[in-house]
Amino acid sequence: MRHVTVEVLANVEIMPGVFLLRLDAPEIVEHARSGQFLHVHSGWALDPLLRRPLSLHRIGRERSARVAGTSEIGGGQPSLVFGRPNPGEIEILFARVGRGTTLLAQSMPGDALSVIGPLGNGFSIEPKTRNLLLVAGGLGIAPLVALADEAIRREMTVTLLAGARSKDGILPAGLLPPEVEYVVCTDDGSQGRHGVVTQLVPELLDWADQVFACGPRAMIEALACLRLPTSKTVQVSLEERMACGVGACLGCVTPTRKGLQRVCRDGPVFNLKELQLL
Amino acid sequence: MNLSVSLPLRQGGQLTLRNPVMTASGTFGYGTEYAKLVDVERLGAVVSKATTLRPREGNPQPRIAETPSGMLNTIGLQNIGVRALVKEKAPIWARWSVPVIVNVAGESVDEYARIAEILEGTPGVAGLELNISCPNVSAGKIPFGVDKNAAAAVTAAVRSVSSLPIITKLTPNVTDVVEIAEAVVDAGADAVSLINTLLGMAIDVRTRRPVLSTVTGGLSGPAVRPVALRMVYQVAKAVEVPVIGIGGISCAEDALQFLMAGATAVEVGTASFANPMAAIEIVDGLERFMLQEGVDDISEIIGVAQ
Ligand SMILES: Cc1cc2nc3c(=O)[nH]c(=O)nc-3n(C[C@H](O)[C@H](O)[C@H](O)COP(=O)(O)OP(=O)(O)OC[C@H]3O[C@@H](n4cnc5c(N)ncnc54)[C@H](O)[C@@H]3O)c2cc1C
Ligand SMILES: Cc1cc2nc3c(=O)[nH]c(=O)nc-3n(C[C@H](O)[C@H](O)[C@H](O)COP(=O)(O)O)c2cc1C
Ligand code: FES
Repeated sequence: MRHVTVEVLANVEIMPGVFLLRLDAPEIVEHARSGQFLHVHSGWALDPLLRRPLSLHRIGRERSARVAGTSEIGGGQPSLVFGRPNPGEIEILFARVGRGTTLLAQSMPGDALSVIGPLGNGFSIEPKTRNLLLVAGGLGIAPLVALADEAIRREMTVTLLAGARSKDGILPAGLLPPEVEYVVCTDDGSQGRHGVVTQLVPELLDWADQVFACGPRAMIEALACLRLPTSKTVQVSLEERMACGVGACLGCVTPTRKGLQRVCRDGPVFNLKELQLL
Repeated sequence: MNLSVSLPLRQGGQLTLRNPVMTASGTFGYGTEYAKLVDVERLGAVVSKATTLRPREGNPQPRIAETPSGMLNTIGLQNIGVRALVKEKAPIWARWSVPVIVNVAGESVDEYARIAEILEGTPGVAGLELNISCPNVSAGKIPFGVDKNAAAAVTAAVRSVSSLPIITKLTPNVTDVVEIAEAVVDAGADAVSLINTLLGMAIDVRTRRPVLSTVTGGLSGPAVRPVALRMVYQVAKAVEVPVIGIGGISCAEDALQFLMAGATAVEVGTASFANPMAAIEIVDGLERFMLQEGVDDISEIIGVAQ
């Protein structure tokens, strides 16, 4: 865990209201793993006051990784190459929803951001795992791409199910590592399959050694209702409102079988079976 | 240049802080959570999260809501209970040279005294801060701190069983804070600290419901600072014992305002969430101010604005 000032390298609206922010953050990369997050403050002084928790979307490791999964985007702007960030760089994928993310959306290359991170426990891939099933609802895809990168680096097979309300919420396939099997569904049928993402999970359960999920509460609850075989562990990344981000304020707790756990420190990744969902 | 301050104690002796900057209860956990980011040994003191007699689960989510230059919280005193604190946390504190003050919360006068008894003689515990903003269960859940008799009763009960420095922490949700301060000082408090959070609320206009699970919560952060400063100024004028200023302090200039209003020390709370280094930066800033202004001893500026 470090508290550092990092430089914005790029910030592009890649989907309506959704931004891909690239940071130069070697101190963070050094200790980072997928499923962890950054607690971000854009030097917006005393208002808004609190930091915003945002997942590590891509973690720039070795240089060779750059070749795969890159894509050119950026319309009228000077064309920007996205994909796996360079070593020492981090990408954040975020939606503009309120005051903090609106300010963050305005950040420009060269701007400084104050970040604390990497925070939280992160996903863990078990030694025997070969096949990973990733289930993303909306921007819940953000941390799962870092996990996909890690799995592919370890020569595992990854299927990513991504659901969104409409096609505007679907991350372009060109921004994912090409090795990932990408299955899309939308609530309105405007892209991919029509319906919710959790309906696709049962048919892939036999294949998957481990399941990882991130998305709105309703999606996590739907997953819990699927009565998954007990042999499969399902790791879910939760969201809760945070103040400190380091386990000190107890603002972010969630009920589990082990009692109240802090999403920022004991999570954000929990075993689905451990959670007490309402 | 001398940054250290001391709080003289009723029973003789004093509690000496290497500088007047402490962390505020509930915003710095047990001091261990921030250890990777902040060198706690540079602080004047650490004040721990409130402890109750038995472990407490606290309130349901949502527990926090951001507000203009501040936040509301309704953590509900979630904590591990005093026995686990003595067993698991105090031994860590005993290895630190920075004093750790334990914030104590109870549902009855007896409960405060019971907790103080258990903490008595525990290595690593340098003092008690009595959080009297908690509901008094035997008095219709009215907080002890809004009634001068109840506030005094808690202080006296703890005084009678404890040899530790006792700081009674005042709530701002009262008509006349000076009256309460005087009552707890008469009851034996070595010092008073103020302010605890201001009662507030927020409504989510989309769901048409209060944001916090308990409807109301405690407001903290820069937004409360002028109110806190006013109360510290009033109380410092009225009482003889040291006053510890709390409320929205996020930089050295804020801390200086409280010291000049009459506070002997300050506690930094919500600011640490935005900037974990806030308290340490305040220590550095005080030092810089003293250098620039030719102040040799921090005590020279305490209360100068009175
Ligand atoms: C561990 C974790 C990882 C996250 N990763 C991502 C990510 O990769 N991409 C992304 O777009 N979003 C992510 N989020 C959600 C993101 O933190 C919120 O969208 C963001 O805080 C909203 O801030 P705002 O100022 O724009 O909204 P406002 O509504 O103005 O914020 C008001 C307050 O509520 C909090 N808040 C609002 N929505 C959320 C939420 N969903 N979760 C937690 N706190 C919230 C804010 O932090 C702030 O304190 C993550 C949340 C968590 C807990
Ligand atoms: C999340 C949170 C938890 C708190 N918990 C406690 C507590 O356990 N006991 C207590 O006396 N005060 C508690 N407080 C109050 C603070 O110690 C402090 O008095 C108040 O927040 C005002 O200072 P600030 O504006 O610097 O935060 C808490 C405040 C916050 C924000
Ligand atoms: S945000 Fe403070 S404990 Fe998790």
